[in-house]
Amino acid sequence: MNTIFQLVISGLLIGSVYALMSIGLTLIFGVLRVVNFAHGEFLMIAMYGVWAFSRLLGLNPYFAAIAVVPAMFLFGALVYRIVIGAALAKPHLVVVFATMGLSIFLQNVALMAMTADLRDVPPIFARSISIGGIFIKGELLLGFIVTLLCTVILQWVIKHTFLGKAIRATVQDGEAAKLMGIAVPRIFLITFAAGSALVGLAACVMVPLFSVFPTVGLNFVLIAFVIVVLGGMGSIEGALLGGFCVGVVQSVSAYYVAPAFGQLFFFLLFLLVMIFRPNGLFGQKGAATLGMNE
Amino acid sequence: MTAMPAKPGLLQQISGLPQRGHMSWFEIILLAICVAWVAFGIAPTFQDVVVLSFLFAGLALAWNIAGGCAGLISFGHAAFFGIGAYTSTILFLNYNVTPWIGIFVGAVAAAVAGAVLSLICARLKGPFFILSSLAFAEVARIIALNWSSVTGGAEGLSIPPVPDLANMVLGSKTAYEALTLVYLLAAYAMTRWLEASRFGFYLFAIRDNDEAAAAAGINPLMVRSAAMALSAALTGMGGTLFAQYFLYLDPTYVISPELSFQFALLPAVGGLGTAVGPILGSFLITPLSELLRANLGNAAAGLHLVIYSAGLIVVMLYFPSGIAGALEKLKPRRPQR
Repeated sequence: MNTIFQLVISGLLIGSVYALMSIGLTLIFGVLRVVNFAHGEFLMIAMYGVWAFSRLLGLNPYFAAIAVVPAMFLFGALVYRIVIGAALAKPHLVVVFATMGLSIFLQNVALMAMTADLRDVPPIFARSISIGGIFIKGELLLGFIVTLLCTVILQWVIKHTFLGKAIRATVQDGEAAKLMGIAVPRIFLITFAAGSALVGLAACVMVPLFSVFPTVGLNFVLIAFVIVVLGGMGSIEGALLGGFCVGVVQSVSAYYVAPAFGQLFFFLLFLLVMIFRPNGLFGQKGAATLGMNE
Repeated sequence: MTAMPAKPGLLQQISGLPQRGHMSWFEIILLAICVAWVAFGIAPTFQDVVVLSFLFAGLALAWNIAGGCAGLISFGHAAFFGIGAYTSTILFLNYNVTPWIGIFVGAVAAAVAGAVLSLICARLKGPFFILSSLAFAEVARIIALNWSSVTGGAEGLSIPPVPDLANMVLGSKTAYEALTLVYLLAAYAMTRWLEASRFGFYLFAIRDNDEAAAAAGINPLMVRSAAMALSAALTGMGGTLFAQYFLYLDPTYVISPELSFQFALLPAVGGLGTAVGPILGSFLITPLSELLRANLGNAAAGLHLVIYSAGLIVVMLYFPSGIAGALEKLKPRRPQR
């Protein structure tokens, strides 16, 4: 009984970290209706940033958030200006291929600049915390708290600020939003940059847990897509729940079946959700048609 | 930056794709050059590049049947490629069935997988279909990687390098050039036949407006599944040819997402939904990436892919209808009759 509790708790914790890196993706999809295939590479760059920050300044990687989050915001804005904005005006497929090209580009720039070596930071917490016989990694618990706070704050921004209102209006109907005087391209830019900044925050939580290397993004981007679809594209609390699902499925199946099959199970889960609930497990009605109706 | 127009919906933008091309002199000359190239054995030092260019042109045409003609943008075609390659190779290694038969068994197996994928994803569109096809291929990859008793797992499978025409292990690279050229021409002929046939019109109708097509009495599910099965079968045959050329298979390359992206990129760069576009895409990109890899590979790891991907972004942003679309614009306009 204790084993299953341990597995579920670990799954929920790691799932919350996955959710944090997926929130940016779901936000960008919900507003721009664009699948950003370079999302994993944004994460990779942010993770290198966090690693370099803590290495050069000898500081705890969590403090890197002060520098990396704004830097990723600017990076997102720059990428939007150069590539995404121009691609959005073109046929739908252009942006798919452009972000894919961007992903290959960033991976190989990183390979040239940083080589393929794995980069790590020393563990932050010396020992796992034990609560009632269940062991919890300090880094994961911290990630869990950061994710929850981030979800609550983002929800508040989306629900209660003018910017949030403008974003929701753009999600619902871009044409009508434009007619109401909302500068839609600016909302796109801000959302894309904010999505990238969230990836920067996720990187701060992830660097103590995972090694950094040029193709690290590939491992995570597929997980992020699964989470975003499970939660319903564009839904922030959906991403959190989707993350929990993926985390628990991964940790339980890795223990009872085989670690190699952990991924198999969540891809199967993804396909099942696509077959039976294309709006996502927790998504609002009509989420599956977002991005293709006009 | 200028104010951005509303993002075009999938329906609107896809209607801009070509419907039915006519075989132009340009295409006939291009294909004639290919045949002459092999027949006269031009540029023997680049035979590897030529074989790969032909093979990937055929694969790009195969992808284009689903992606360009039927509007099923799949990022999971590596699964069909892998199914074709593994089926013929396993039949040959374990049951001594010649790949000349195995290639067709592999094609049938891939077609079944293609039909299954399109039935699973019957209701999905746009990004959802893309992501589901990606997940489908990942499932195939993980199975191939872990089912070691049959697929050899991560170690892969090797075909004994004993030249024997009966086993499709050819002695010379020229013979492989001829074989892959036949594949390319078959895929081209299939595309042309499709464009002219009734079934092809169903495909274009479904792609451009599936509701209107369904109202006109076309069964979208059947037509989509058939297009996907056809595309998958051709891709599976390409997989067998790949296995017979390299004589080695492993799941981390043969069923990788990178390979799926490659299949989609070539037609996108060349011109989606046209018969000549995928060929042009492969003839431009395959030699370019091979030469960049050969010349820059040692100097700086990754540099060739940096150049390649930057070029890709520029092409996509400035020539969204691909090379074929750019060529079309160069043509003098004929007066409307």
